[in-house]
Amino acid sequence: MAKLLLIEDDRETAEEITAELADCGFTVEWASNGIEGLDKARALRPDAMIVDRLLPGMDGLTVIEALRKDQVRTPVLVLSALGAVDDRVRGLRMGGDDYLTKPFAFVELIARIEALLRRPAESRDRMLRAGPLELDLIERTVKRGNREIDLLPREFRLLEYMMQRSDQLLTRAMLLEEVWNYKFVPATNLVDVHMGRLRHKVDGPGDIPMIHSVRGTGFILRTGL
Amino acid sequence: MRSPQFIYSTTFHWALTVAAVLAVFVTLLFGFIYWKTDKYLIARSDSMIVGNMNIIAAVPEEDRRLNAVNQHLKEDPRSLQYAGLFSPDGHRIGGNLERIPPELKLNDTVQSVPVVKMVSGGKEEDRVIRAIARRAPNGEVLVVGREVDEANKISHVVGLAVTLGLVPGFCLCLLAGAWLSVRAQRRVEEVNQRVQRIIAGDLRERLPYRSIDEPFSKLAIIVNGMLDKMETMIHALAGVGNDIAHDVRTPLTRARLTLERGRTNATTLEQLQTVVDRSITGIDQALTIVTALLRLAEIENSRRSAGFGDVALDEMLDEIRDIYEPIAENKNITLHVEAPQRLTVRGDRDLLVEAVANLVDNAIKFTPEGGRVGIELLRDEGAAIVRVTDTGCGINAQERDAVQRRFYRSDKIRNTPGVGLGLNLVAAIVKLHGFRLMIFSGPGCRVEIVCPDGPAWTQVAPTETRRGSLPQSLSTVVSSS
Repeated sequence: MAKLLLIEDDRETAEEITAELADCGFTVEWASNGIEGLDKARALRPDAMIVDRLLPGMDGLTVIEALRKDQVRTPVLVLSALGAVDDRVRGLRMGGDDYLTKPFAFVELIARIEALLRRPAESRDRMLRAGPLELDLIERTVKRGNREIDLLPREFRLLEYMMQRSDQLLTRAMLLEEVWNYKFVPATNLVDVHMGRLRHKVDGPGDIPMIHSVRGTGFILRTGL
Repeated sequence: MRSPQFIYSTTFHWALTVAAVLAVFVTLLFGFIYWKTDKYLIARSDSMIVGNMNIIAAVPEEDRRLNAVNQHLKEDPRSLQYAGLFSPDGHRIGGNLERIPPELKLNDTVQSVPVVKMVSGGKEEDRVIRAIARRAPNGEVLVVGREVDEANKISHVVGLAVTLGLVPGFCLCLLAGAWLSVRAQRRVEEVNQRVQRIIAGDLRERLPYRSIDEPFSKLAIIVNGMLDKMETMIHALAGVGNDIAHDVRTPLTRARLTLERGRTNATTLEQLQTVVDRSITGIDQALTIVTALLRLAEIENSRRSAGFGDVALDEMLDEIRDIYEPIAENKNITLHVEAPQRLTVRGDRDLLVEAVANLVDNAIKFTPEGGRVGIELLRDEGAAIVRVTDTGCGINAQERDAVQRRFYRSDKIRNTPGVGLGLNLVAAIVKLHGFRLMIFSGPGCRVEIVCPDGPAWTQVAPTETRRGSLPQSLSTVVSSS
């Protein structure tokens, strides 16, 4: 069972988040300011941390920087009411951590924590496999069973990302950020249109569907057929 | 006792300094005049003494030489002249000198020597005179001299002139200084009162001014210009505030009504969940507006260029085609991209993608089925141009300005979903880069982002330090085709 550390100064928000995470089976420790958070992070060694950016005592990003200096590599999800167009946030995402702007939906929070906890290991394999799907990163070909699937470059990247995180809920915002490199949410249902096309190619007639929509939230690539 | 306020003013200090400098200057000037005059008078007097000496010495007969001396002294009504004839052993033969002055050298040159003058009543006075002494061929010593009291008189006159000229001048300077500083202080006080009123909230108040040529008035006019602009902006902001409040309130009202009705009417869990879902949708809509606004503010306030690099526009357009082609196809719209040449600009890639994506998004949204959206990259007069065209309803001339206002939504598109901030975002991004946004209407709509070469970049660079004052040339331009 994953152990999480939540550093958040607003008690009510913290209680709601803790309750929701507990419902999903996580153990949650709570710290109400940066200094206490840093101490707990060092003492408890959580599997992942959720850190509010604006904290009394020591701001969230400073806490993370302090931990990184101690070679603590715990993945972090930063929560903030501030937008995400600044360079420190870019750096954060580069380092494999994540950033979520308040207010957020719980599904989004949970999906991102799951993604952080199950960060794909650095792999040098040229082949990605998920259920009957096989993706060759060098040849850039995809097969489902024996059937070759012809994908456009963007569709290939989308499927690659989904296969690395198979059986995980991927929200639209996550896909936009990771696959399309968008730092903003476009007005049109861009993700849905692209996903529709990809699904059409992956789940052929007669196949058991692998790509599933989760209503109002995002998509899952299910491998357990 | 308190000294008057003007004593502490800079103007008065300056006046004081000027007065002091003037005094020094005048004193030096008069000193120079005195020195020059004195020199001239002595030179003149010396030549007269030499002349007299020559005349007396030229008298050949020795007995008549005494007469010449006496004659010479008689011809001097102001008794300034001195003359003496002395025997070779120094005894007085005649003249008005008791003895040969001891300091006087017998070298036939004019020099200053102290003498004792006999004045009426038998009194003696010490005088310094210019004198010359010469030994005649027969051994007698002839002394001729002259008092140079003109120099004293001149110095007296000069001193008087200095006093007469300097004292009133100095006073005048001080008076002018005091007057100017009191006047300046009065203006400052006047301005201060008006400014206090503006601070207190009276935005219509302006600074007083008299004539255009006076510096104080010029300053006042400049400040008034700034106040005009600020007043307009503040009113515009207030308007935006109202728009925001209105636009946020609409979905919130919907959510609230849904919740309220649900609380009374829902009887099953399922009904309750529907109510909650609908409420969340309403709240999300409100949040979308707030997020878009914050994003807008974020872009408008970020004067940073740290994220700037070379952006290949052609590659960027290819990527946008990638993203939007399926969406256009779904709506049965042809998306045509034409980027034949490689064009690079300096900018923030993410933001530029966002701007162009927004334009394309809009174009696809407002183009009816079967229409056509075109994205072109072209070069024209030293600028790279990204042009997005569509065959939609277009933007008419009256609306062209309005579309860049926040929340403006044309009546023609009331029923298309959206927040109405898209073009604002584009305009803000374009402005941040020092590019221009041009909106043309013809059949359909044509929007261009004009990216001038190099210079525009160097123009926009200083805004990093000088926050919030973009030059007029960089502001968004809307023109007609």
